[in-house]
Amino acid sequence: MKTSGVWILWLIFNLLFLLSTRNPVYLLIVLTGLLLSGYRMTRKNQRASWLKNNLRFLLTMVLLSALINALFTHNGRTVLFSFPQHWLLIGGNITLESVVYGTINGLTIGALYLLFTIINLALSVKQLTRLIPRAFHPIAMTVTIALTFFPSIQQRAREIKEAQMIRGNRMKKISDWLPLFIPLLVTSLEKSILLSESMTARGFHIPSRLKNSGLPFLGLLSALFFSFSGWILHLFSYPLLISALLYFVGGALVMATFLLSSQQTRITHFQKEVWHSADILMGIFLSVLILLWILFTINKLLPSLTYSPYPALLSPPFQIIGLLLSAVTFIPLLLSKHD
Amino acid sequence: MKNRLSGFFINIIILTLGFLSLLSPFVFPQARNSSATFPIIVSLMIGLCLLIVFYEIQISILDSKIIAFLGVLIAINAGLRFLENAVPGPAGFSPTFFLIILTGYYFGGRIGFLMGAMTMLVSGLITGGIGPWLPGQMITAGWVGQTSSLLRFLNSKFNWREKPAEIITLAIFSAFWGMLYGAIMNLWFWPFIGTAPNQSWSQSAGLMKNIQQYTAYYLATSLIWDITRSVGNVLMISILARTVLTVFMRFQRRFNFRYEQGIKP
Repeated sequence: MKTSGVWILWLIFNLLFLLSTRNPVYLLIVLTGLLLSGYRMTRKNQRASWLKNNLRFLLTMVLLSALINALFTHNGRTVLFSFPQHWLLIGGNITLESVVYGTINGLTIGALYLLFTIINLALSVKQLTRLIPRAFHPIAMTVTIALTFFPSIQQRAREIKEAQMIRGNRMKKISDWLPLFIPLLVTSLEKSILLSESMTARGFHIPSRLKNSGLPFLGLLSALFFSFSGWILHLFSYPLLISALLYFVGGALVMATFLLSSQQTRITHFQKEVWHSADILMGIFLSVLILLWILFTINKLLPSLTYSPYPALLSPPFQIIGLLLSAVTFIPLLLSKHD
Repeated sequence: MKNRLSGFFINIIILTLGFLSLLSPFVFPQARNSSATFPIIVSLMIGLCLLIVFYEIQISILDSKIIAFLGVLIAINAGLRFLENAVPGPAGFSPTFFLIILTGYYFGGRIGFLMGAMTMLVSGLITGGIGPWLPGQMITAGWVGQTSSLLRFLNSKFNWREKPAEIITLAIFSAFWGMLYGAIMNLWFWPFIGTAPNQSWSQSAGLMKNIQQYTAYYLATSLIWDITRSVGNVLMISILARTVLTVFMRFQRRFNFRYEQGIKP
C-alpha cells in the first residue's frame, strides 16, 4: 500500500466502522492493529518512544473520559458510591455503567487519533498536498510555497539568533524577540517580492476571475445546503433514507463541482503516483466493502455491532462479522511485507 | 462593489452555518444521542464551509503576488511554533496568533482568513497533525484573522491609526480571541467526552443544564491554557505590533503595483 487513494479508502472504512461500533472487544482489536502498523511504520530508532507516547495518550484519554463521564452522568443500576444530591452537577450516584461508558468513549477517541497518526505516517507531505483538489490549485500553490520556504526560514532564524547572541542578546524575554523577528520578517517579505516576480515571468499570473465562476460556487453552496439539511433531519430522527439521499446529493454535487472546475485549469504532471496491481486490487476491495457497508446500513441488513452498558452492565456481544470487519485494520501490516 | 457584496453575503452564510454546527449540542440536544458520529459530521460540514470561503477568496483576490506573499508569511508563522523552543514560555502560550491578527488587521479580512486557516493547515502538515480536529482549528483561526479587519474599520473611524490607542485595541482584541479560541475548540470535542445517551431530554431544561455542564468542563480542562494564551497574545502585540505594522506599511507601498495585461498573441 503506497498510493494515497488506497490509504484514504482504508481511512474511510475504518472511520465508518469505528463510529458505528461501541463494542470494546472490536475496539481493542482495532487498537492493536493500529498500534502494530504504526510501530512498523516508524523508524527503527524511534519505535519505542512512538509506542510509549501513544500508549500514554491512550491511557490519559481513557482515564479522563471515564472520570468525566462518571462524575457528570448518574444513570445506571450498579451504584459504586454516591455524592450528596445538593452538590452542583456531580451530586448523585456514581455508577459502574457510566465508568464503563466513559472508558469506551476514551477507547474510541484514542482509536480515532491513532488512525489519523497512521495516515500522517504513511503519506508523505507531498502526497498529502496532492490531495488538495485541482479546483483549489492557488491554495495548493500557497501551501507548497509555505512548505518549501519553511526550512530556509528556520535556517535564517537560526543565523539571526546566533548573530544577536554574539552581540549580547540573551534571548530570554519576549522583548528580545524583536531584533530576531523583524529582520526575519523584512528579508522574507523581500524574498516574496522576488518570488512573485519570477512566478509572473514564468507565466503563473492566475487569471484571478475565472470564466463562469458562478457555477462552481452555486454547486458548493447547494452541496452545503443539502448536506446540512440532511444532518438536521437525521438529528430530528427522520428516516435514515431521506438524510442518506440528501448526503448523497451533497457529496455528488461536491464531486461534480471539483470535476468541472478542474477541467478549466491545465496543470503539468510531475512524478505521477504509480498504481501497482496490489494497490488496484486493494482499492477495489475497499471500495466494494464501503459501498456494501453503506447499503446494508441503510436497509438495516447488518446485525447491530453497537454495544451500550446502559441500563445494566452485560458482557458485550460477539459476532463473526464484527471480528472480520475489525480485522481490516491489519491489512497494511500484511501488505507491508511486499513493499 | 458587486464582488465585495457577494463576498460579504457568503461570509455571513458561512459564519451562521459554521457556528450553528459548532454550537449544535446546545441548539439541537438530539445531537448528543449520536455522540460518536457527531464530531466527524461537524468536521465535514465545517470542511465544506471552508471550501466555499476558500473558493470565494480564490476567485476574488488571489493572484501570483498574494500567493507568494501569503506563502512566505505562513511559513514564518508555522516556524514561530517551533521558535517556542528557543524562547521558553509557559504552557498554552502560542505565538502564532499575533501575526494572524496583524495580517488581518492590515491587509483586510480575506487575506486574514487565509492566513489563519492556512497557518493551521501548514503547521498540521509539518507536525503530522492532520485529523478531524483540523477543520475546526482552521475555520476558527480564519475567523480570528477575518474579524480583525473590523478593528481597522473602528480605528479609522475614530482616527486612532498610528496612535497608542491602536495598539491597545489590538491587545484587547487578541486577549478576547485567546479565550474564545479555546472555548470554540472545546465545543467541538465536548459532546464526545462528557455525555451519556438515552438520557430523556426535556428540551427546555436541556439548554440550561447543557450550559452548566459545558462551563464545568471548560473550567476543569482548558481555562488555565486559555489564560496563558491570552496573556501571551497581549504581550506579543504590545511589544511587536508597532514595528510589524511599520514593516507592513513599507512593504505594501512597495508591493502595490499591478501587472498590465500584454497583447495576446
